[in-house]
Amino acid sequence: MARSHLRKLREGWAVQLRVTHALMIRELTTRFGRENIGFLWIMVEPLLFAGLVALLWRLTKGPEEHGVSIIAFVVTGYIPITLFRHGVARSVAVFTVNSSLLYHRQVKILDFIIVRFVIEIIGGMMAYAFIATILIIVGEMPLPDNMGLLIAGWFLYAFFSFSLCLIIAPLSEMSEILEKFVPVTTYVMIPFSGLFYMVSWLTPKAREFILFSPFVNAMEMMRKGVWGDQLTAYYSIWNPLGFSVVLTAIGLGLCRHVRRKLAVE
Amino acid sequence: MIVCNNISKEYKHGSARKRVLSNVNLTVNPGERVALLGRNGAGKSTLIKLIAGVEMPTSGKVTRKMSVSWPLGLGGGFQGSLTGYDNARFIARIYQRDYSQIKDFVEDFSELGRQLRMPVKTYSSGMRARLAFALSLAIEFDCYLIDEVILVGDQDFQRKCRHELFEKRTDRAMVLASHSTELVRELCDRAVIIHKSEAQIYSDIEQAVDIYSQL
Repeated sequence: MARSHLRKLREGWAVQLRVTHALMIRELTTRFGRENIGFLWIMVEPLLFAGLVALLWRLTKGPEEHGVSIIAFVVTGYIPITLFRHGVARSVAVFTVNSSLLYHRQVKILDFIIVRFVIEIIGGMMAYAFIATILIIVGEMPLPDNMGLLIAGWFLYAFFSFSLCLIIAPLSEMSEILEKFVPVTTYVMIPFSGLFYMVSWLTPKAREFILFSPFVNAMEMMRKGVWGDQLTAYYSIWNPLGFSVVLTAIGLGLCRHVRRKLAVE
Repeated sequence: MIVCNNISKEYKHGSARKRVLSNVNLTVNPGERVALLGRNGAGKSTLIKLIAGVEMPTSGKVTRKMSVSWPLGLGGGFQGSLTGYDNARFIARIYQRDYSQIKDFVEDFSELGRQLRMPVKTYSSGMRARLAFALSLAIEFDCYLIDEVILVGDQDFQRKCRHELFEKRTDRAMVLASHSTELVRELCDRAVIIHKSEAQIYSDIEQAVDIYSQL
């Protein structure tokens, strides 16, 4: 009995990989085409965004703040938040847009969210690695002090963003009003994303409050991973992890609920 | 075997509700050809979608014990912004088939030639039907679900479809939604008439066609 369960699990996993692979290629070709640099476009957008904003900050605020390079600081903050904002924006109405794919039973609605998010992650991480390499070479950024912490921070940041996508996607199918609120909400979220500051730069009162944000915790980990002893970081891994697990559970339930009512043309 | 056990389907939009099917019971055995008859909007396509698992029933259960195709119709099943070849590649990937074989079959069956390199959204409805048929016949299923599409396309293509589906694949089960009583008489073993959300099953095709003509 246990063996047949195991075999089923393995078969299911094989189907999952196949479908994800096929959907990713499909998504990349529809979004970026095969012309010029093709799928490399996925990292251009976060790259431009982070690069230009960092340049703007550099010109208005000078080269350093609290002893770290402004350019590197802004870039390390902006690329993760692009992941979150794009991920959420791409989750809106994702089931309806892709509904024709549901003609194939092995394709599940969760795959739509997973595929789009994975593409955003790959784009974000490639952009991060690319720009960090350049900044390290020109001496604007140190070699990461603690690679493990940096990656763990990225992982938690991505996990939390993903759990939000799992909720936004089904909710956007249930109510069209939601769609109108997503852009403004993600914009208002920026101050709570840990983008422009380290928690240690804030007053103790604000510190306590801002550390409720899972984004801030994960961002502190990433920055600590890069700058090490040059910065003081405040974080708990349990905050983003806890939030993500709870939101994922709610999101999966909502997806299941919405699937039953989804009308496919 | 496919078993539809007491399935109902309701659509809701805002406060409006529409009950399309209520308590439908239907069994499709291997090799059996079942016709779905009913007026426009009666729920033929809905039943096909439920059997295919494209949509879920509001209540009841569909059990599939053989491989079932996706609903063969005009739309659905492919991506308009991708080319014919890209769609074939996609199908090959998710059904784990050899792409070169599928490609050969699609080229041969659809006769679309260079058009296969163009996005599907530039195709006419006849061309779409050719591609849709080619793709689904390229994968072998135990049961094919066919939604009207058989009458689309020119004479030559219709002949080809009939040959592939009804002559070469006599051992397969089929669920066929059609308005063509001629086709149903000729091909099907049983008929289901869907009327006012109820489904009535007839094993006598002549009787079913008579009743359907009087609806």
